[in-house]
Amino acid sequence: MNAIDFQELVDRQYVPLYRFALSLAKSEADAADLTQQTFFLWASKGHQLRDGSKAKSWLFTTLYREFLTRRRREVRFPKVELDDAREDEIAISPNINALDAATVSQALREVEEPFRAPLTLFYLKQFSYEEIADVLDVPIGTVMSRLSRGKALLRRRLLSKDETLGNKVVSFESQKSRESHG
Amino acid sequence: MDNREAKFILSAYRPGGQDASDSRFSEALEQARRDPMLEQWLRDSVTFDAAITERLSAVEPPPDLRENILAGVKVSRVPHWKNRLRKWTIAAALILGATLGSLIWHNARPAHLAGWQNAALEVISSLVRNETSFDAQSGNPSELLTWLRTNQAPATKKLPNDLGKLSSVGCKTFSWNGTPVSVICFVRKNGELIHLVTINARATVDRTRRQEANLVQRGGWATATWREGDRVYMLALKGSRDQLRSYLL
Repeated sequence: MNAIDFQELVDRQYVPLYRFALSLAKSEADAADLTQQTFFLWASKGHQLRDGSKAKSWLFTTLYREFLTRRRREVRFPKVELDDAREDEIAISPNINALDAATVSQALREVEEPFRAPLTLFYLKQFSYEEIADVLDVPIGTVMSRLSRGKALLRRRLLSKDETLGNKVVSFESQKSRESHG
Repeated sequence: MDNREAKFILSAYRPGGQDASDSRFSEALEQARRDPMLEQWLRDSVTFDAAITERLSAVEPPPDLRENILAGVKVSRVPHWKNRLRKWTIAAALILGATLGSLIWHNARPAHLAGWQNAALEVISSLVRNETSFDAQSGNPSELLTWLRTNQAPATKKLPNDLGKLSSVGCKTFSWNGTPVSVICFVRKNGELIHLVTINARATVDRTRRQEANLVQRGGWATATWREGDRVYMLALKGSRDQLRSYLL
């Protein structure tokens, strides 16, 4: 890949990569650093990739692995009990219209890491469940499971922020009845 | 397929409709068309997902991130011919420096410097003798600083006055007792070299090292060491303390 192609790749991918990094990292500075390091690794090794269509997947996979490597050097995250998050426990929904981008981003970062990575890739809009499985190197069933449970956890985090902001919690049922009554 | 299983699968269904033709979703989607409760759940779920996607799309990266990425990579990718020419130029300058300093270096090793300082001078010496190569090369010190930051190596925020006016040759990082240390080599106006070494202050024994530079003359090396914030710096050249002092003003 020549210099122009590299710049094109940066222009196309640095924003979604940064957003993914921000959901994983502790701070904006860490996220920017992870993003830079990923492109540096691309410049060192990624250009050897023969199939250019896999560049996006390579970048996200590399960023995720780099994050995991750094995390191993730090204090290990407490083990998350995956069965704790049952998607059907959440019958009410936060008032999403009352929440801004920073609040939603913060809520996502509070979701436990095993769920956070697939959720973010899903919400970046560019990844199918199969691509997410490739990036995270987990089976498709695990991706679906983590998306299902991750969304429940995200709703829970958003609900608590919604309540902190003093907004009324609206249930799906009451939303539905309002809609049906015009 | 019951509704619970359908919900499980549809959790991976993207709000933009890109997955409408994916066979894995077809049975669950078909079930949602038949079951009003499930259909409502899917509608709510897609609305929620679309709203989250929209909010996250509003998160902007730092304004200088793109430029930092391009600058950081540029510095590590030197054109082939330029690289070869630069290598010859550097080799010539380094051989000259090595010839002038090798006798003194071998006969009078610095005796009153800390461990990391001796280690740094070893690395510099090895660079001068062309026994090891730079991690990154650039004539522009700012590009080297960007490269160091990108690679989590210690880097100064601001170069000492006169040092910033010099051209750089390259930078090297190494680990001393598990702590990263960085070295940047500059070309002085007389063609000889001067080196800036940076280390995290927490890793040094003398944590109370003062902010004024402490000048030491040992063998052929003149070194100046000082602390600024959470970093300790050492400036080193083959020559006298007076020659070194001019870079500290």
